[in-house]
Amino acid sequence: MTSRTTRQRSPLRLAPAARAREGAVRALLLACAALSVLTTFGVVAALVGETAAFFADPAVTFGEFFTSTRWTPLFADKSFGILPLLSGTFLVTAIALAVGVPLGLASAVYLSEFAPPGRRRRVTGLLELLAGVPTVVLGYFALLFVTPLLQRVIPGLNLFNALSAGLVMGFMILPTVSSISTDAMQAVPSSLRQAAYGLGATKVQLIFRVVLPAALSGIVASVVLAMSRAVGETMIVSLAAGQRPLFTFDARETIATMTSFIVQAATGDQPAGSLASRSLYAVAATLFAITLLLNLASQLVVRRYRERYE
Amino acid sequence: MSRAGAGDRAPLPAPADRPERPDMLDLGGVEARRRRRRVRAFEAAVFVPVLLALALLATLFFDVITDSFSWQVIAPHNSGRSFAFAEGFAFHRTWENVVRLELLAQGRTPEEADALLADPEARRLFAARNRVELMPWVDGLPLRWLVTSSRDDHVADLPLFEGVGRRRELLASAEPGQVVLLNAWLDWSFFLKNASRSPAMAGLLPALVGSLMLIALVILLAVPLGVGTAVYLEEYAGDTPFSRLVELNLSNLAGVPSVVYGILGLSVFVRLLGLGPVILAGALTLTLLVVPVVVVAAREAIRSVPDSLRQAAYGLGATRSQVVFRVVLPGAVSGITTGVILAVARALGETAPLLVIGAAAFVPRPPAGPLSPFTAIPIQVYNWVSENDVEFTHVASAAIVVLLLVLGVLYSLAFYLRRRYESRW
Repeated sequence: MTSRTTRQRSPLRLAPAARAREGAVRALLLACAALSVLTTFGVVAALVGETAAFFADPAVTFGEFFTSTRWTPLFADKSFGILPLLSGTFLVTAIALAVGVPLGLASAVYLSEFAPPGRRRRVTGLLELLAGVPTVVLGYFALLFVTPLLQRVIPGLNLFNALSAGLVMGFMILPTVSSISTDAMQAVPSSLRQAAYGLGATKVQLIFRVVLPAALSGIVASVVLAMSRAVGETMIVSLAAGQRPLFTFDARETIATMTSFIVQAATGDQPAGSLASRSLYAVAATLFAITLLLNLASQLVVRRYRERYE
Repeated sequence: MSRAGAGDRAPLPAPADRPERPDMLDLGGVEARRRRRRVRAFEAAVFVPVLLALALLATLFFDVITDSFSWQVIAPHNSGRSFAFAEGFAFHRTWENVVRLELLAQGRTPEEADALLADPEARRLFAARNRVELMPWVDGLPLRWLVTSSRDDHVADLPLFEGVGRRRELLASAEPGQVVLLNAWLDWSFFLKNASRSPAMAGLLPALVGSLMLIALVILLAVPLGVGTAVYLEEYAGDTPFSRLVELNLSNLAGVPSVVYGILGLSVFVRLLGLGPVILAGALTLTLLVVPVVVVAAREAIRSVPDSLRQAAYGLGATRSQVVFRVVLPGAVSGITTGVILAVARALGETAPLLVIGAAAFVPRPPAGPLSPFTAIPIQVYNWVSENDVEFTHVASAAIVVLLLVLGVLYSLAFYLRRRYESRW
């Protein structure tokens, strides 16, 4: 990069009024930038306060929260074990990754290594369109198109099930995997490719032994990011997977995820400050922690294992 | 490369866009052919997922559009007569004209019909219970006006393609007095109808107005915030701990699930500030959600403005804020616009945060202002799908078609703008 002269203080001597105006503009812009930090603090503060109140309640214990397999905060007989919600989230995310990662990676290989530039741009545009479909629409599609289709093939498939939600979510995360991985593969310098060809490699050998290993950090980051999106996805599961917290790994079952529970609890009429309403915050805090860890992990992977070609 | 007949023309250069394809060289041997076959098979294999993704997208559009049509058999509460398009159409007086025809068909005299249309209260009552609708197909005839009533009995509802096959059967099976029609749920009246407990009467108006107000507020709030942050990071802040903190924050905020933003909105705007579940609270929540999108796009656009322009401006004696507002931002405006369009598209489709802050389940009329309870198009889709009623499914798919059309326009605009501005400097 060229050095930035703009970052240095202007050597001009300004009239006091002009200097005041410059200072005001600077302060205003700084306030804008500070807002994003404030947002994060807001999220954390909102979650921590109510979550602490939740665990302070005598009816709730840490041990029960993380080990019990019953989650019934909205019923009279309350039980607070988050495992069913975690297993539901895990189940849907696993299906989504099983679909989205191979398909997304293969698309990335095609787009980066085979497609001519014109087609690459057009196909990338269309994939962005897929990523831009509102998730409530994908939920509609999963519930009213994919589920009836699957029910013809798979006996015992519930109307609300983890399978079709996961399948559709796989296509939702496909563009994420594909676009970040494509960028990573494109960043592999052509000198490496030429060297491989010079050694007599075929294109397939080049892809598997040079391009993919060199782009690995970007690929891993894309997968982790896709995972975090799948964990945080709400509307597809709310509509297509149901709202029954069940500790199971059977994809045909109706389940609940952390996100679908949040929607269920927030759209019901739980009075603010009740234990049921606070359980929502505890679930949201868990969700936030998981996605934050995943995002940090993806950034770490990129920073740590990025191959540098300068 | 050079073929017979090419004459003295220089050999064609290899296509510039794929410089490295040595596997295409004609090596001639069996081994070379096998290697080429393997590469081609692999290319086909990695192309399949691309096709799959695009096929899914196409299927989705196709499914939603066909779902917004259905064949229905209704036992009408009104006269049950339909009127040819030409018979009913009368420019801006079409509604009155069709109502008149219907009243006459019910056996009223022309004087009674005129009296009803002249009396505002009678008109209002009629409009509340009845709809004038243009149906593509009624009782075997194309493009008919039909006055439907909220008290009509819906006898049967068939999907588009099933109904095409069984059209004759449907017509034959309709009992006397029943009407067979192809209901296009997405018609002009869909935009004008208020919410209703009955699917045939339910319209998009409150959600449409709610979404428009939300978007307007989000643009008002998110553009200054996002662009301000980007300008600060790119033009003012050096590599200070604060700017690093802001950057770290932005990259992490982008990964926070939208439903968690809903919780933030619920705690801060709805409860702490006491706004309640109103449009303003929804817009503030969505603003926090999309600011990172605007920041990323604006930073990229600002960075693409060449430094020489800034230096020229400084050379002319401009202050820093003058450089920002007269050189950098005008140069970055198309890139920033792209980012704003993408942010709007995101805000338009967001459902979960609005559900969490408490967008109302049933909003009978369009919201009056930023402090009214509200609904939005995606919320309405969620509610209609949750009704678990086949007719409400059609209403939901009609709303989805509207939503996808608007998003399609926005994405094409962004795509076009981005390509134009890529070649700018």
